[in-house]
Amino acid sequence: MQYNFDFDYIWSSAPALLDGFILTVQVTAISIVLTVIVGVIGAVIRVLAVPVLSHLVIAYVSLVRNTPLLAQIFFIFYGLPSIGLGLSIFNSGVLALVIWGGAYNVENVRGGFLAVPKGLREAGASLGLRPLPYMWLIAIPLGIRVSLPAVLNTSVSVLKNSAYLQAIGLAELTFVAMERIAMDFRTLEMFAAIGLIYLGLVLTLSILVRRIEHVMHRPFRG
Amino acid sequence: MDLLVDSSGLFFDGLVWTFKLALLTLFFATAISMIVGVMSVTGLRLLRAVALIYVEFFRDIPLLVSLFFVYFGAPLIGIPLDPFAASAATLSLWGGANGAEIVRGGFNSIPQHQRTSAAALGLKPWEIYWFVLAPQALLPIIPPFTGLFTLLIQSTSLAALIGVPEFFRIAQIVVERTTMIEGHSPAFLVFGVVLLVYYAICSVLNLGTRKLEQYMHTRTARTVVSAEVQIIDRRAEESV
Repeated sequence: MQYNFDFDYIWSSAPALLDGFILTVQVTAISIVLTVIVGVIGAVIRVLAVPVLSHLVIAYVSLVRNTPLLAQIFFIFYGLPSIGLGLSIFNSGVLALVIWGGAYNVENVRGGFLAVPKGLREAGASLGLRPLPYMWLIAIPLGIRVSLPAVLNTSVSVLKNSAYLQAIGLAELTFVAMERIAMDFRTLEMFAAIGLIYLGLVLTLSILVRRIEHVMHRPFRG
Repeated sequence: MDLLVDSSGLFFDGLVWTFKLALLTLFFATAISMIVGVMSVTGLRLLRAVALIYVEFFRDIPLLVSLFFVYFGAPLIGIPLDPFAASAATLSLWGGANGAEIVRGGFNSIPQHQRTSAAALGLKPWEIYWFVLAPQALLPIIPPFTGLFTLLIQSTSLAALIGVPEFFRIAQIVVERTTMIEGHSPAFLVFGVVLLVYYAICSVLNLGTRKLEQYMHTRTARTVVSAEVQIIDRRAEESV
């Protein structure tokens, strides 16, 4: 079967794709920042073994990691309004991605904290550091460096999984592409275009994090 | 609650579809991971390049986009796929790409001297892989593979978006139908139950593989311990 690949079609749909691209980047950027914050807070609670709270974190992590993101998105977007928590599409999307990525980041960051030598904690305690200052001054700066690659992986997943939000009608990149395919049937062109855009985004994110890693690995300057 | 009881037959049919899809995918994804994973640690540059391109393609593009690509794109090159076949194929290829990375990591975690020693003993390449490297690579890849398996089972829900009547699609249909007929949305209840069902399935899988991992750990530990004991015994004999 012959298929004429039409490059001009990609150019003609560039404005629409750009809108989708901006929305994807917005959702992803906000979500990634929040997932890291959720991850650090959750991991601190786990490592300090705060009573009750740390059990809640364990339950949260295992619940999120063992259920499909798509079902979580639908639960948040369609389910929460019936208990009076109606959110816009954008906010539901961000909330779903943050809850999902946050659970993974709790484990990522906790792994980094566990890699901090135990002697440092004892040394800190003998100098009179209470748990929270210990976390803030010692465990977080050291642990976050170790957990960066894992956090990067999760961030890339957050970026890719933002495509799921097209299912609740967020007009991000995949949504725009599917809409154009439904109108004009230029399937391969659209998939080639968004495939390349996602590839570019993933690579950019990796390079960005490698930069951060590089900066962080510089020795301390007191 | 009545709603769930009334549509339990529907949900059961959906679960059967989900399990079919999951089993098929887990099988093919594992097979692909093994083949591509070994390809990416062989000495042949061409095989490594093919494996790399395949793995990067599926890992860097969102699974949803690959799924739509296969489902809507395949007819254009003359292979019409029904939704089930398209989801099974895409999920297997996606799982295979991610699994191949895990297998590659497992092989790379083996110290280089194992390979060189085996070669020095005159083992053929396939014997090196089969008798020396593969058994050692198996243990470290179990935990990440469990993670991949749960992700794959969860990802079967994506098939709902191209119309496979699996568990999640049934939930969507029930919610839509009830909203239209009765005027209020049971989404909170239905999707809540859906989350719990997936949670149960994945937890059972996790528990099973943790048991397997423990078993394999004790088994390898036992063989190592017995080897040590033998050495100590022999030393004791020699010193007597």
